[in-house]
Amino acid sequence: MERNALRARNGIKLVAGVDRPGVGLTPKDVVWERGRTQLWHYRSDKVKYSPPLLIVFSLISRSYILDLTPGNSFIEQLLDAGFDVYMVDWGEPDERDAQNRLEDYVDDYIPAAVDRVRELSGADEVNLFGYCFGGDLTLLYAAHHPDAPVRSLTVLATPVDFTKMGPMSDIFRNSGLEVDDVVDEDGNVPPRVVVQGFKTLTPTADVTRYVTLWERLWSDEYVSAYQAMTGWSDDHIPFPGAAARETVQMLVRDNAMVTDRLSVGGDPVHLSDIRLPFLTVRADRDHIVPPEATEALIDLVGSEDKHELRLHAGHMGLVVGRTAAKTTVPEIIGFLRKRSDEVGED
Amino acid sequence: MTAQTPPGTPLWRQAFDAAEKRVTPHAEELVRTPYFATGVGLLRRAQNIAKDTARGVSARAWHLVNLPAGTDLARLRAQLGALDREVRRLTVQLENERRRPLTSDVPTTATSEEPDAHGAQPTGSPRPRPARRGAQRPPRS
Repeated sequence: MERNALRARNGIKLVAGVDRPGVGLTPKDVVWERGRTQLWHYRSDKVKYSPPLLIVFSLISRSYILDLTPGNSFIEQLLDAGFDVYMVDWGEPDERDAQNRLEDYVDDYIPAAVDRVRELSGADEVNLFGYCFGGDLTLLYAAHHPDAPVRSLTVLATPVDFTKMGPMSDIFRNSGLEVDDVVDEDGNVPPRVVVQGFKTLTPTADVTRYVTLWERLWSDEYVSAYQAMTGWSDDHIPFPGAAARETVQMLVRDNAMVTDRLSVGGDPVHLSDIRLPFLTVRADRDHIVPPEATEALIDLVGSEDKHELRLHAGHMGLVVGRTAAKTTVPEIIGFLRKRSDEVGED
Repeated sequence: MTAQTPPGTPLWRQAFDAAEKRVTPHAEELVRTPYFATGVGLLRRAQNIAKDTARGVSARAWHLVNLPAGTDLARLRAQLGALDREVRRLTVQLENERRRPLTSDVPTTATSEEPDAHGAQPTGSPRPRPARRGAQRPPRS
């Protein structure tokens, strides 16, 4: 009886959209911006390591997954470990971004962010970190700018073999569907198409999600976590049209990361030119970026100091929840510490 | 989804889990077939043909009374977007060029300008290209 009352209360809260948990709350400052793109610097008075860590986020989702809620935040853990953390957030693209190509991000924005971080921190280099498709951008950046001031590169859930990405890439590879068939009037791929694409990967997941929600609707803790997590997974941003066209042609149809046919701004780019200390983190139960899609990466980069971490987790579980707190983040912190200097050390 | 049912799970949930366990692999297999990809492609193109036809008719109607249609506005938005992108790229590249001497220990003339200030690319000079491929710095021990 009591549980039914709690269910009713939480159900009303969910439907009305009230009492949503705050997300992305770690204090930060915008230290550079251009167009919709912003560079955030997370405030910390316990910086112990240099160079700073620059996180490059994905182009199609919201970056608050890395700073979900207080106590369940990847960013918070990095700050607690003593890192000076910056993040490039691409904002919400509109018609002004429809012509953005991958080279805009790889040759302009990421170098600008790296320079700004170095300018602000006084460090000569940065440790670079790419999440999901942001990992692909950092790979292209590191490969196209081999002399970039980067100490190490870490990528998380980053696909390279797009033939293994499941229905979403199959539709573009096999059905003759073009990006122009799905772009909106603003010239970008709308978030609903992206969300629908991800939902196709696990067609029964929504039903299971609602059944589990009904079963545990009485639990405030569950409902709060549900709101934060599903809020993020349903909350995508438009994919700039030109970048989407390039992604489909080069990465999906040509499978250029694996076949070594990458090009950025007309220049051929080879992942084997990446010689930085390198870490790739993959998840076994990732339904968005299947482990088969990330598997080849470790062999494609040319680094001698390269490592792969394979975890029994899902896509989100890599950065939020218990697996992240106990395994992913400590492993990443361990990798970065070895490639960092303690502040004050020469 | 396929985890073992913990003790104390209600009967209705056990029944759902059993059904879900049977249905999910088939559903996931179905969306990975070439037929599904082809079906989605055809459906999307059919939707687009219908939408384009309706747009064409309404555009002709607006043009008859000498007014711009939605398609004209879309074209304008695309042109503005392309222009905006060019300006943004030039600004970022100019910033990068300005900042580079500051961050690479090369003596430079001090400037009172904001590092974020919007600048302009001289029309006569070519657009700066990204740094060319060179030797990547070796990993630190």
